[in-house]
Amino acid sequence: MKEVVLAVEQLTVYRETYAAVQDVSFELEAGTDTAIVGPNGAGKSTLVQAILGILPRQAGDVFILGQPLSRRGFLTPAIRQQIAYLPQNFLFDRRIPITVEELVGLGWDKLGFQVPWANRRKRRYAIREALARVDAAHLSHQLISGLSGGETKRVLLAYCLVHPRRLLLLDEAPAGLDVRGESEFYQLLYQLKREQGWAILQISHDLDMVRRNCDRVLCLNRTLLCQGIPEVALSPDNLSAAYGSEFVRYRHQH
Amino acid sequence: MSTELTRIIELFQLPFMQRALLGGILTGLMGGMLGSFTILRQLSFFSDALGHSALLGISIGLLIGINPSVVLLPFAVCFALGVTYLLERTRLWTDALLNIIYSSSLAIAIITLSFVGQYKGGLNNLLFGDILAVRELDLIFSAVLLLVCIVFIGLTLRTQMLLTLHEPLAIARGVSVFLHRTAFIVLLSLVVGISIKAIGVLLVSAFVVIPACAARLLSRTFTNYVVLSAGLGALSAVIGMVVSAAFNLPSGPSIVATQLTIFLTAMALPRLRVLGQG
Ligand SMILES: Nc1ncnc2c1ncn2[C@@H]1O[C@H](COP(=O)(O)OP(=O)(O)OP(=O)(O)O)[C@@H](O)[C@H]1O
Ligand SMILES: [Mg+2]
Repeated sequence: MKEVVLAVEQLTVYRETYAAVQDVSFELEAGTDTAIVGPNGAGKSTLVQAILGILPRQAGDVFILGQPLSRRGFLTPAIRQQIAYLPQNFLFDRRIPITVEELVGLGWDKLGFQVPWANRRKRRYAIREALARVDAAHLSHQLISGLSGGETKRVLLAYCLVHPRRLLLLDEAPAGLDVRGESEFYQLLYQLKREQGWAILQISHDLDMVRRNCDRVLCLNRTLLCQGIPEVALSPDNLSAAYGSEFVRYRHQH
Repeated sequence: MSTELTRIIELFQLPFMQRALLGGILTGLMGGMLGSFTILRQLSFFSDALGHSALLGISIGLLIGINPSVVLLPFAVCFALGVTYLLERTRLWTDALLNIIYSSSLAIAIITLSFVGQYKGGLNNLLFGDILAVRELDLIFSAVLLLVCIVFIGLTLRTQMLLTLHEPLAIARGVSVFLHRTAFIVLLSLVVGISIKAIGVLLVSAFVVIPACAARLLSRTFTNYVVLSAGLGALSAVIGMVVSAAFNLPSGPSIVATQLTIFLTAMALPRLRVLGQG
């Protein structure tokens, strides 16, 4: 029996006046990679944001490493430090002067009260390692406002990796990476889950990649339509339930 | 020339000039430091509105016969919190709403002042400040506040950076946006409130906005930017005070003019460098 890193129980999340996510329950074990698939507007990003406490939830419970997420989104700093999140849209004000190195460094700190120069050596070493892992070491002194879309993704990934974590939540992370970047990205995830036992939850639209790389799949369209190993969850029947039958016919003809 | 220099040096040996200089430096440091975050969080106009509305606090104090300096700080803090609450509650544009608030409080303030007969002459001082009237108590207050700003911003620097850059990322890391936003607004309103006596309600936001913008043009990393912004705030206060002493000019406006000069230089610098190379 493996350790449960994330448990979601009957989660319901409202957007404005309607339930964008309804009655969703699942568990994530350490050392596994789970994908959430579903059409645009299915509530995938909403689900992930509610798990993190970015969006309030209407009903249900979320447990991360055994600790319940409070109604107001509170988790102890020690638990928060174990979680990394890569958002779907990283929209920021490009006039903010912040370098790649500084951004990645923000992922390392615990964000409590501390002097800015605490653990300077360790911190710098971790930043360099993380940037090297995503093949972005050459960017370290650049301002993030000057990065391309794919470079931004790599740097954000380094922000997630810069400190050892237990849970990694990725919202369409590989979108925008080049071919080599994408395969390296999946390799990296494989290492993280196998060697360091991270639990990974990733939202993806690339069903072939999901089939090849993920251990489990959740099909979401407001409610959880199916979950299981890719062969089962991504079977034509389940896909037509999630995306509509037209789509499945199209996929099978090509 | 040398007699001119001696005159300035002698002038700065007078206690009130020293207090003014020190007050200017403290205000410059605080304004620059908080200003660096204020402009990035697009609160520049907020600090401006806060400054203008402070006149309302002062006039109410005068009307009911309490020392305006005593009323000013609590007024500024309450006002800032009230406005933030309002901004979050309504779905109007921030700048439009702030405009309503500051012009109406200015109007009410002037009407109130007209009831306080003997203060009409002092209006100029309220609008443009009187840095030479800075007392020892004001200095102590400013110094304490500067210390609080340094400790708070210093110890939460990374949190502030992440919050400024991307709120959802900060929440995902367990940062309480509400607490931090409120703490920052309270600090900012204290800094504005405490600086008003010296620089006046009209010019106070320049101390928050101009050095920070100049620093933004000159820095390549975030940490440098914050430090440079505070430094430029202090530097412009010193130069401005000396200029005002040398040419017998009003001190607050001289400091703001110095800030402008620094800002324009920062804008021109890259172009000058290109010219130098070409
Ligand atoms: N900021 C918002 N305010 C109000 N409603 C929103 C907002 N963002 C999304 N929604 C609504 O919530 C629902 C779920 O959106 P969500 O972003 O979770 O979808 P998604 O599955 O991530 O889609 P995509 O594949 O396009 O990223 C959608 O119907 C959308 O209209
Ligand atoms: Mg999404």
